[in-house]
Amino acid sequence: MDTNRRGFLGAMGRVSIGAAATVAGAGQSATAATDPDHRTHWGMVVDLRKCIGCQACTVACIMENDVPEDAFRTHVSVYELVKDGQDPAMVMLPRLCNHCDNPPCLPVCPVEATFKAENGEVLVDASKCVGCAYCVQACPYDARFINHETQVADKCTFCFHRTSVGLLPACVETCVGGARNFGDLNDPDSEVSRMLRENEVSVLRPEMHTNPNVYYIGLDEVLDGRVAGEAAYRPPLTGEAQATHGEGL
Amino acid sequence: MERVFEMDVQIHELVGAVHEAAWLPWAVQYFFLIAMSVTALLMSLPGFVFGREAALPKARLALMVAVTTGITAPIALLADLHQPGRFWEFFVYTHKTSWMAWGAWVVPSYVGLLILFAWAIHRPAFYRWGQQDWRFAWLFRLLSLGGEANWFARPLGMAAGVAALAILVYTGMEVTIVRARPLWNTPFLPLQFAATGFVGALGAMLVLERVLSRDGALEARLNRNLAAALAVVGALGLAWFALASSGLSPRHAEALASVAGFPVWQKIATWGALSIAVPFVLALVLPRNSGWVTGLIAIHAAWMFRWTVFMGGQAVPKVGSGLYDALMPTGIAGLMGVIGTFGLWLFLIIAYTTFIPWAEAGQPDDGRGAKAPGHPVRSV
Amino acid sequence: MSTRRNILKGAAAAGALGTFGAGYAETLKKLAKGKWSGEVPNAALTGNSLTPEYVIDPDTGDLAMNPDIAMSYTMCIGCTTMCGVRVKVDKAQNKVLRVTGNPYSPMSTDPFIPYEASVKDSFLAMAQTGKGDGLTNRSTACGRGNAVLQQVDNPRRVLKPLKRVGPRGSGKWQTISFEQLIEEVVEGGDLFGEGRVAGLREIRDLKTPIKNGAPELGPRANGLVVMNCVDDGRDNLLLRWLKQSYGSTNFTRHGSYCGGAYRSGSGAMFGDFKKMPHAKPDFLEAEFVMFVGTAPGNAGNPFKRVGNLIAKARSDGKLDYVVVDPVLNNAQNGPSGDRSRWVPIKPGTDGALAMAIIGWMFDHDRINHAYLAQPSAAAAEAAGEPSWTNATHLVIVEEGHPRYGRFLRGSDIGLAVEGDAYSDVDPFLIASEAGPVPVGAEAAPLFFDGVVATAKGPVAVKTSLTLLREAAASRTLMEYSEACGIPVETIEGLATELTSHGRKAAVNSHGGMMSGSGFYNAYALMMINTLIGNLNWKGGTMIAGGWFPDNKGPAYDLAKFPGMVTPKGLPIGRNVPYEKTSEFKAKKAAGQAYPADGPWYPNAPGLATEWISSMVNHYPYGAEALIFRNTNPIYGVPGISHVVDRLKDPKVVPLIISVDPFINESSAISDYIVPDSVMYETWGFTKPWGGVATKATTARWPVIEPKMEKNAEGQRVGLETFLIATAKRMDLPGFGDQAIPDADGTLHPLNRAEDWYLRGAANVAMIGKTPVPEATDEDLELSNVARIRADLEAVLKPEEWRRAATIYAKGGRYENIERSYQGDKATYAFGAPMLVWNEGLGSFRRATTGTRMPGSPTWFEAEFADGSKVADHYPAADWPVKVMSFKSPLQNSYSVGAKALLRIIASNPVVLGRALAEAHGIANGDMVRLTTPGGSLESVAVVRDGIAPDTVAIEHGYGHKGFGAQDIMIDDDIWPADPRLATGVLLNDMGMVDPTRANTGVWVDPVSGTAVRQGLPARIERI
Ligand SMILES: Nc1nc2c(c(=O)[nH]1)N[C@H]1C(S)=C(S)[C@@H](COP(=O)(O)OP(=O)(O)OC[C@H]3O[C@@H](n4cnc5c(=O)[nH]c(N)nc54)[C@H](O)[C@@H]3O)O[C@H]1N2
Ligand SMILES: Nc1nc2c(c(=O)[nH]1)N[C@H]1C(S)=C(S)[C@@H](COP(=O)(O)OP(=O)(O)OC[C@H]3O[C@@H](n4cnc5c(=O)[nH]c(N)nc54)[C@H](O)[C@@H]3O)O[C@H]1N2
Ligand code: SF4
Ligand code: SF4
Ligand code: SF4
Ligand code: SF4
Ligand code: SF4
Ligand SMILES: [Mo]
Repeated sequence: MDTNRRGFLGAMGRVSIGAAATVAGAGQSATAATDPDHRTHWGMVVDLRKCIGCQACTVACIMENDVPEDAFRTHVSVYELVKDGQDPAMVMLPRLCNHCDNPPCLPVCPVEATFKAENGEVLVDASKCVGCAYCVQACPYDARFINHETQVADKCTFCFHRTSVGLLPACVETCVGGARNFGDLNDPDSEVSRMLRENEVSVLRPEMHTNPNVYYIGLDEVLDGRVAGEAAYRPPLTGEAQATHGEGL
Repeated sequence: MERVFEMDVQIHELVGAVHEAAWLPWAVQYFFLIAMSVTALLMSLPGFVFGREAALPKARLALMVAVTTGITAPIALLADLHQPGRFWEFFVYTHKTSWMAWGAWVVPSYVGLLILFAWAIHRPAFYRWGQQDWRFAWLFRLLSLGGEANWFARPLGMAAGVAALAILVYTGMEVTIVRARPLWNTPFLPLQFAATGFVGALGAMLVLERVLSRDGALEARLNRNLAAALAVVGALGLAWFALASSGLSPRHAEALASVAGFPVWQKIATWGALSIAVPFVLALVLPRNSGWVTGLIAIHAAWMFRWTVFMGGQAVPKVGSGLYDALMPTGIAGLMGVIGTFGLWLFLIIAYTTFIPWAEAGQPDDGRGAKAPGHPVRSV
Repeated sequence: MSTRRNILKGAAAAGALGTFGAGYAETLKKLAKGKWSGEVPNAALTGNSLTPEYVIDPDTGDLAMNPDIAMSYTMCIGCTTMCGVRVKVDKAQNKVLRVTGNPYSPMSTDPFIPYEASVKDSFLAMAQTGKGDGLTNRSTACGRGNAVLQQVDNPRRVLKPLKRVGPRGSGKWQTISFEQLIEEVVEGGDLFGEGRVAGLREIRDLKTPIKNGAPELGPRANGLVVMNCVDDGRDNLLLRWLKQSYGSTNFTRHGSYCGGAYRSGSGAMFGDFKKMPHAKPDFLEAEFVMFVGTAPGNAGNPFKRVGNLIAKARSDGKLDYVVVDPVLNNAQNGPSGDRSRWVPIKPGTDGALAMAIIGWMFDHDRINHAYLAQPSAAAAEAAGEPSWTNATHLVIVEEGHPRYGRFLRGSDIGLAVEGDAYSDVDPFLIASEAGPVPVGAEAAPLFFDGVVATAKGPVAVKTSLTLLREAAASRTLMEYSEACGIPVETIEGLATELTSHGRKAAVNSHGGMMSGSGFYNAYALMMINTLIGNLNWKGGTMIAGGWFPDNKGPAYDLAKFPGMVTPKGLPIGRNVPYEKTSEFKAKKAAGQAYPADGPWYPNAPGLATEWISSMVNHYPYGAEALIFRNTNPIYGVPGISHVVDRLKDPKVVPLIISVDPFINESSAISDYIVPDSVMYETWGFTKPWGGVATKATTARWPVIEPKMEKNAEGQRVGLETFLIATAKRMDLPGFGDQAIPDADGTLHPLNRAEDWYLRGAANVAMIGKTPVPEATDEDLELSNVARIRADLEAVLKPEEWRRAATIYAKGGRYENIERSYQGDKATYAFGAPMLVWNEGLGSFRRATTGTRMPGSPTWFEAEFADGSKVADHYPAADWPVKVMSFKSPLQNSYSVGAKALLRIIASNPVVLGRALAEAHGIANGDMVRLTTPGGSLESVAVVRDGIAPDTVAIEHGYGHKGFGAQDIMIDDDIWPADPRLATGVLLNDMGMVDPTRANTGVWVDPVSGTAVRQGLPARIERI
């Protein structure tokens, strides 16, 4: 892609890091590393059995990515479920952009600001985005928002700035329960590939045929789409949040 | 609101996120005004383009509505862009898969053709006013570009009509294709936009008729048109509901399911039904004395339909539970957007009725139609 | 046409245009800004995301550090867990950017990496290059831990010393210099225009008794009392100052309103009421665990470790578990299916459940005979048991016997004892065919109930286990079931599970025990572990592996110094036998020794809850000066609001000083606030409370420059500067140039914090067979310990400093994970016996009643101090609901200022069940009023299924009045209240006092003296 899209590496200061374009595979296995045609395809496997709803991921993402007030790139929904009159049970459901392989947010973008990067990330070029929010409407997962500070579409980048230099996404790195797992879906030896092989997995809103790259272990179908139920209590008062909420500059 | 599952499940969200509306009230205003503009333009064609002399009084009002809303609408659209300074990108990076990208081409084409058409229609009068000896003659000389020929008004009108249809198609499709929002993702939506557009335009024409012409026959005629438009809107609504509740159309069913069960939506539905039924009945029963009321309610109905679709639609979570702050999610800034847009529209109407010899507009002179009245009627 | 019309039109047009302008001003502004209508982000694709801390070379896998960033290992204090974390610092801005875990630390990582790994390798372990694509050793901070860095820059932090203006608690302050602060608190005087206040110097009178005629209470110096939150790794210095230098005995922590009842109940079984040892399940190896009153993954200490292990165990491992809790929370996990279940229980009734299970175990003979029968360490060892119990020891049960409730000892039956009777050498006795015999190295009879001959005649005795069995059998299973609200089949099911996995089953508890029956509930629950015999077993329960201490090591002795004094006298919290007091003697002489004027708690540790009562009532004595150090009892103690007004009266406690970075509910009522450092700015060493089987010391050091102002000597004001300056001004021993002896006895200075902590680090580094390796230059660079290198070199000896540096470079010292077990057993086994009967408990008299209490677990219904039943004072007919509290998974008691958290959960409505809601016509979202005998509050109701009947639950951490929830005035500036910080409600505002106490005190458990926050009688109504 154009220089702009790699431009963030310039922010790395005095450190020289060689060829950025290939760093994506820093953690790849021998199998993947020896294959010259190998192209990393990032994916996340969320094991719901391991999520404790601690929201470390939510906060880490806010801190890492300067997510503005009143928006989340990721958060963890918490549900109480009573099924068939059985005992009530808790479900913690981490949500983020699925980096869909068939992303409905992409074709609607009038100016091609949203694009699919070479390792599968769905990204927004902020220097190009006109802030029309069409993509926000089109994403079936409420994964996008307009950033009130920058006035452009914003969303999870799969921590592109970290993964492209061999680090883990912030939310994954700090996942207390070990629910969030990240890696190269094209590498059969990766942890995520192994998890996909060994477990039954599902995705959110499969009926949307978006081909998500975020998979879930233990996802109940009653939660995989819009969740029919009582909404969370939200106090009327959001104080300061309200103040910064308008489109003020 | 309940999805039907094999088993009985009760779910209570204990922690959830709220998503703000990303299309703000400006977007509502745009869709409202542009629909009025294109439908009004279409309603001006019989009189101005298709030679129906009797339709001229209506056509004049229609053109006035088309032009004033047609200018206001893109401004509202620009305001809804969070990066308005980048509007030019639409024309540099047209993403072929995006209805909005195409819309970016259609809108200026339409507005351009509309204005040219209106200019062409008014050119003879401009010219005449420019020839008189009065304060603003120079302005009208300028406006007439030194001539009075307007044979090209007809082709321009046809082209604008085609562009108007393109607007109806693109605005409808742009919203309809959003699968993520069941309330939008129904094949009826473009038709509903068009039909309510007619309602809104006729409403505006009725009000203008009351203010400017006070011509009972015209009022009755417009009221009859309005009743017809409302009938179509009502029929579409009923069909929508029938398809949805019967489950015949899964998409409609999903749309209904996404909001059914919420008291606020039941109120909206009732309100919506009343905004159709009341003016419909009034227009039929009192066609000559209800213009003010039917007109205002009609404008309200058209606006309300869009507000509900856009703001209400965005209040429906795509994955979470319940509803986000329904209907008025954007606070004071959003409200100002709405009022500001109406301010501009009102200004344009005043300007139009003041500076444009709208009442003298007649059929274009291509050797076929009759000439417009000879005596100037200035308001300035 | 008419001009009037034109004017009207013109006006309308102008108005319309004006409205347009107003509506579109924003758009115009944006347009004027050009290409970027918003703020220009740092990068087009990744916005304002942080710059990566380091990058991994894709070809070599090598690491290149971002030179603008420091990655330092230190400690989080976002809650009492005090995890080892890794902090990302913007060096130029002196700002913490983000936090995650320290992969060396078991508190943050499982499995944690070997200590030998270099700092660089530890960085690589957490990158994609690490094991399992970096996932295996990923190291974490929790939601709060990720957010609390915002506390450093909290705009309401106190950075300069404050002195109150106007009455206590009025919210008005003036800033003063550190020097003025020291002068005033040491010398006293008419400090507030309210009359003379004694300073610390005057109060430090080591001779005059604090109370006339009661020398047992110690000298006037005991009138300086320190309330402390938890040991955040700085207590040793404070304790040295208070006890060994100043000479006051009065120091307490928050245990009595934290999980004290649990800890005391556990302490009863582990045989230590002061340290209160406790064990935790071996999460990864256990097959079945019953959590009762603790919520793994929802809260708990160590929060993350337990959360991580429980998640792993229920999905990859072999664990099935049940959470017995009045309210369903994040401890349960639906996607794990039956492996994680929730059983609702009525608050405060856990003893009934436990005794039901214990009774069932006896009835079905599912107790572990082989284990329980070993009467001594020798016998246990011979039988291959890693621990033992006193189940078989004989207890004197003869009514009226002077040693009633105590163990029958060798001397009782006339055996010759080499040493004092009833000392350690006096053997315990077990039953045999031939009558009582001393414990030996063989198994002993479990049950005995009979009369044995003693030197002073026949005496009725029973084995401990017999007494336990009787206690359990005192009610039927059905009665227990009704008491706790758990169906009989469920209880039987739980009992069956607990006894079907050999030693790999366990019971665990904590905060849920803070009810009026808490102590016995906890003792009973823990006893199930002993009946299973799971202690020290892999898959069973284990105590913490301990640590590498800082205060006493091969390099320096921080625990002793020349001229140190020994504090004397009974502590203000009355956690000693009443019988030691002059009051007792006087009353006894007068013919009626009981009741005392107030309760005493010989079987409890220092009790913050009771301190408050002592201070406001001057019973047994009052305090002249109170120091709150990072603590907030005014927020944390249920019912304390009833005595706060008296604390605010300067006549009651003349001087209150807070050392705290914030104006919390407690520092708000003090006279002075000494600003303190926040987490990443502070020093300290901590050990895990539990749950870590290996030795672990977490080290904390200032990874950023602290924000507090500097004193005249150029040091940052804070706890340490305050202690050192006051000590030096009073010429207290143990501070100054000649304060810290090294191994050779050479004295080193204690003039600044570094003098203390760096020597502590040297101890941590050097202790044990092999000291830690020296830090390399690379370690120093990568961890940015280079920041304190000069201090390390200046304070420590050449052979020490690089080793001490390793402690900071790796964020502590951690024994490798392989040391967890030896074979099937815990490496660090608990050695003392498990007490099925606790004779201290079984033999003491309640000061307020003169009666005794059972020495073994029992189902004890809550009583007030006078022995009357709480349920009789507040009958269910009038108070049909029970209110209880549970920890927020996100907040803790002081995290509200970390704003990122309120974004996620903005408040805490009260939770109630469907049936209760229906009965009162309450719908989800309605406003309700909750009333207890202690107060009432109004809140929004959330109606849920996951809560026990007739129970209302309140999430803890909201409902603040401090931290900026109310206006604060400093000098002439107003720090306006932020309503978001005040959001929600606090259960403690409805906490109760004990109506039977003449000297006001909050309702506490009669044995452990711990505050009651679970199961308050209440009623609810819709408003
Ligand atoms: N997220 C988070 N973690 C924390 C803290 C925090 O504030 N937030 N604080 C830390 C501290 S200081 C501590 S002490 C630990 C405490 O950790 P825990 O003891 O695990 O937490 P609590 O919430 O105090 O109590 C545990 C459970 O007891 C339940 N409970 C209440 N009453 C009863 C009862 O009568 N019977 C039974 N069976 N259960 C009852 C509550 O619903 C709650 O789920 O957590 C530490 N970790
Ligand atoms: N209703 C109800 N009451 C409860 C509980 C409950 O679950 N429900 N939980 C109880 C439990 S388990 C506990 S442990 C107690 C806790 O109560 P306390 O032990 O009294 O302490 P905290 O409220 O944790 O207050 C510690 C204070 O330290 C200060 N502080 C915060 N961060 C820092 C820092 O980085 N550096 C310094 N120097 N100071 C800092 C803050 O001002 C904070 O108020 O509350 C108990 N009270
Ligand atoms: S989740 Fe939404 S934003 Fe993300 S790629 Fe898919 S459609 Fe686009
Ligand atoms: S908001 Fe930006 S990224 Fe989204 S569709 Fe519009 S231009 Fe594209
Ligand atoms: S991958 Fe990065 S941007 Fe995406 S949710 Fe996680 S932390 Fe946020
Ligand atoms: S950090 Fe992990 S365990 Fe915690 S809420 Fe997020 S996904 Fe769940
Ligand atoms: S559990 Fe969380 S808040 Fe508590 S110390 Fe650890 S990281 Fe900090
Ligand atoms: Mo605690």
